[in-house]
Amino acid sequence: MEWTFEDLQVWDEKIVKHAKSYNLDWYPIDYEVCDYHDMIGYMSYIGMPTHYQHWSYGKSFERTHTMYNLGMEGLPYEMIINSDPSISYLMSENPMPLQILIMAHCVGHSDFFKNNRMFKHTDAPNVISRFRNGAKRIKKYIDNPNIGIDAVEKIIDSCHALKYHNYREFGINRPTHKEVKQKYIDLLNFDSKLVPDSIDINRIPIEPDYDILAFIAEHSRNLEDWQRDIIHIIRDESRYFMPQAMTKIMNEGWASFWHYKIMSELDLPQEFHLAFLKSHNQVLRPTVGQINPYHLGFTIFKWIHENKGLDECFIAREVHNDESFIRTYLNRDICEELNLFSYSKKKKEWTIDDISDEDGWKQIREDLIKNVGLNSMPNIYIKELQKDFTLILEHEHDGRDLDLDYAHNVCEHIIDLWGDEFKLYTVIEDEPFEI
Amino acid sequence: MSTFRKHKSIADRSATDRARHKQKIDKALKEGIRDIVAEESIIGQDGKKKIRIPVKGIKEYQFVYGDNSKKVGSAPGKDIHRGQKIAEDSEDKNSGGKPGDKPGEEFYDVEITLEELAQYLFSDLELPDLDKKKFKFLSADTFKRKGFRTKGIRPRLSKKESIKQKIRRKKMAVKVGTFNEEEDERFPFHDADLRYKHFKVKETEISSAAIFFIMDISGSMSTAKKYIARSFFFLLYQFLHHKYDNVEVVFIAHTTEAKEVNEKDFFSLAPSGGTLISPAIDLTLDVIEKRYHPSNWNIYTFHCSDGDNWSEDEEKALKSSQQLKQISQLYAFCEIDPDSESSQWRQTDNSRMYDLYQAIIDKKFKLIRMTSPKEIWPAFKKLFGGRLE
Repeated sequence: MEWTFEDLQVWDEKIVKHAKSYNLDWYPIDYEVCDYHDMIGYMSYIGMPTHYQHWSYGKSFERTHTMYNLGMEGLPYEMIINSDPSISYLMSENPMPLQILIMAHCVGHSDFFKNNRMFKHTDAPNVISRFRNGAKRIKKYIDNPNIGIDAVEKIIDSCHALKYHNYREFGINRPTHKEVKQKYIDLLNFDSKLVPDSIDINRIPIEPDYDILAFIAEHSRNLEDWQRDIIHIIRDESRYFMPQAMTKIMNEGWASFWHYKIMSELDLPQEFHLAFLKSHNQVLRPTVGQINPYHLGFTIFKWIHENKGLDECFIAREVHNDESFIRTYLNRDICEELNLFSYSKKKKEWTIDDISDEDGWKQIREDLIKNVGLNSMPNIYIKELQKDFTLILEHEHDGRDLDLDYAHNVCEHIIDLWGDEFKLYTVIEDEPFEI
Repeated sequence: MSTFRKHKSIADRSATDRARHKQKIDKALKEGIRDIVAEESIIGQDGKKKIRIPVKGIKEYQFVYGDNSKKVGSAPGKDIHRGQKIAEDSEDKNSGGKPGDKPGEEFYDVEITLEELAQYLFSDLELPDLDKKKFKFLSADTFKRKGFRTKGIRPRLSKKESIKQKIRRKKMAVKVGTFNEEEDERFPFHDADLRYKHFKVKETEISSAAIFFIMDISGSMSTAKKYIARSFFFLLYQFLHHKYDNVEVVFIAHTTEAKEVNEKDFFSLAPSGGTLISPAIDLTLDVIEKRYHPSNWNIYTFHCSDGDNWSEDEEKALKSSQQLKQISQLYAFCEIDPDSESSQWRQTDNSRMYDLYQAIIDKKFKLIRMTSPKEIWPAFKKLFGGRLE
């Protein structure tokens, strides 16, 4: 290490001073200095110091380790947890200018976690202990000789396959089945024309239910209590992580916007400044054929700042998620600046469909929205639980077909969890399809 | 307002999960190998041939979109136009601008050579008592000279050593004056001068094996049956090859007649005619007698058949088999019956030969039944006394 903890503190004070002057409002940050090995370790567990154990995190570790050794990917410069206080990891191998950049970047993230509406439900002060609690319960089941690691892994495997299938809004209290039923009974009594024909008040669920794991935990007749508990642990965890997937572009854009702004205003020594610019350009380098969320988010925030002012930036970071952010702010100028294009596979060739010109940029925006965050995952909901316990799932087809190989494998997981008959309806090549 | 602290390097946190992941890969690899054994035609392939083993079960599945979804990316410059081809979909995952839409897929094929596969199969699988039970290496006594003794039989007398002893004694005698060389007196050999060559008996292990693959190629052996036989032979060959330094393989194909053939013909000869088992056994005995004497060779005989035999031949076959059993380390009769067509009219699932052979089962003689490729591996394990999973 060519720097000391005192150096970190000195620069942190400067960053904090600048950030406060712009009214950034973040959780206090606890920085942990760790080495490369620990860093990969944290990455494998999505940064969470108290995460439950599962082989897939071992796989993730090996994968990162291999890729890093092959030079295929650099370690992320920063890793920060949405908690209060925020926990962030600094890799001891990084040089000082990079540490300064990371600290400034983390302030942006922490501000985003604290203020964006998508994170209101995540209960940041208690997340670490909540995860610890879940991890302990799972460990207890693993150590229980009547259950054991194989059975526990089987449940976790299945839950992981389904964990992102849930409502994509947060902070809404969903009515129970009983309340929904009462709502429709009241409506029927008032005026039966108000209730669409598709609604059957004797069906479970009356309205499509997107919270697949919770539904299975509640309605399956084949699960034991410990299994239900694990399902809930994983379901709750993904409710915590889903907003991060849905705001990746904004979050990274916001953090990059602020590290750039703060760093430019800090009085960096000459050699630090050059190193900073180099790292900054590395982070924001566009990836050919893909979207670099840092680059896209940064470019949009920069555009808002230049054209609508800093206040608008603060409003955007509070009220939007990636989808609405792109829908609101991505315009032809930005598309052209980024050279965005859309492409698809025709027969065996990948060809360009649209480019960012007058005719194409709106379509590109639509295509991009379909691919951001969880929109890149199919929406699947519980349609009906039949009297004989057959579970009916339906895929909300939006023109994109499911990958059948993957779908079949996920279905096996659903069968493992559900334990009774189950069907999935979708559309493949414009024909109704049943799995 | 921020705090800084050094990370406490406690125990390697992901170690358990990494170990667990490795176990999963190993398990998946073994299962993959099982499929390979059942599916690929790898017997007789050069040991250096590489095969890909798809490792199943460690992939994490989620619902994802298929190929008909559009993607968006950024281009390096303005020089793009609609309809421009940017990448071709090939098996090569590294191809150009196409992003990997299914993360990390290439991770799940393990490529190994046949030799490695054999290593993997046999060094790692649960065949615990194998070496003790089945691999009594044949031993032969060889003699090695080891010094001289004062007593021995006449043919082992060492003239040189005896003369040396006499000269030594003579010199001593001159020195002490009991013998005067100039008087030309004779100085005869004495019993004490005589030295005999000494030999030590040494046991040496012979690690040569002759494997006899006998296969019924009569009309009733369908392609499916031969296919099972082939895979099974492959395993046997790899396994014995793994255990012995020197392995020779003899292929004997039989219908009503038996003949020694080469490997290629063994698997490709068109099936025809009826079945007589005894000529095949007799031919084997004959080849052993001429080329692979049991005192020098570990004999392994594996006979794959659907068990059909003409009833006149039964007694004769049984007698020859018993004889073959005596000189083999292991002799297995493997009945392959993928569709049970020939046993439909009988009460039992077993063929006549199978029932007859029951009588001579012992440590050296085994009966195996396989009805589908899936049973090859269990059958193999049963044969070599491993625990069945």
